[in-house]
Amino acid sequence: MTHSYPLALSRRVLRILIKLNLLFGVLILALLVTSVVVEEPVMRALGAGSPEANAKLYLGMRLVAVIGLAGVPLVHFLLTRLLAIVDTVRDGNPFVMANAARLQRIAWAVLILELMHLAVAVIAAAVSTAAAPFDISRRFSLTPWLAVLLLFVLARVFEQGARMREELEGTV
Amino acid sequence: MAIIVTLDDMLHQRRMTLTELSEQIGITLANLSILKTGKARAIRFSTLEAICEALQCQPGDLLAFASASEAGKEVA
Repeated sequence: MTHSYPLALSRRVLRILIKLNLLFGVLILALLVTSVVVEEPVMRALGAGSPEANAKLYLGMRLVAVIGLAGVPLVHFLLTRLLAIVDTVRDGNPFVMANAARLQRIAWAVLILELMHLAVAVIAAAVSTAAAPFDISRRFSLTPWLAVLLLFVLARVFEQGARMREELEGTV
Repeated sequence: MAIIVTLDDMLHQRRMTLTELSEQIGITLANLSILKTGKARAIRFSTLEAICEALQCQPGDLLAFASASEAGKEVA
């Protein structure tokens, strides 16, 4: 067993993030439902103006909320896999095939999340007007795409590591 | 496996137990047990050297080769 402060901290942070993600999911869902039930006050509070003049913006905002909602299970999946990897590090045996598979799944999850991010940017650009701007982060960043690439490479590194570890275990 | 570990016979000839060998060469009893029972997938030269030194024997006294068919007959 490996006990270290960064490891314990990572586990705590991941556990908090898992709960926060679920909380965000509930909040997005609540916002989406209230925006349908009491449309005008909610949309005005969000700075979207009147429903007559901003139908496209309303639709765009709801679409973004739906994408955000779809991202919640994906982020949950990603964080729980990451926690499982950290747990194997704590147990002293991270080079196992299961971790290689987990890393690969995390890479796919990050890739899908980035595509969702791109979709949000496209929607925001499509519905935003000078009178009613839809201000949402839509600056393109290379870092997450590099992270995806790195994760796929790391998954292969873990696969090799697991194979070497298996061989070493049978060596006397 | 086609490689047969004859450590047990050698220990018997030298009137030595696995525990004594383990203490002498500094390799855990668990690892020596894996080697003795033929469950090891590989052996380090350093391990082989230490065992040969302790038992005053040659690597060939500890390992033997039997073709797959012969090994099968032994099992049967």
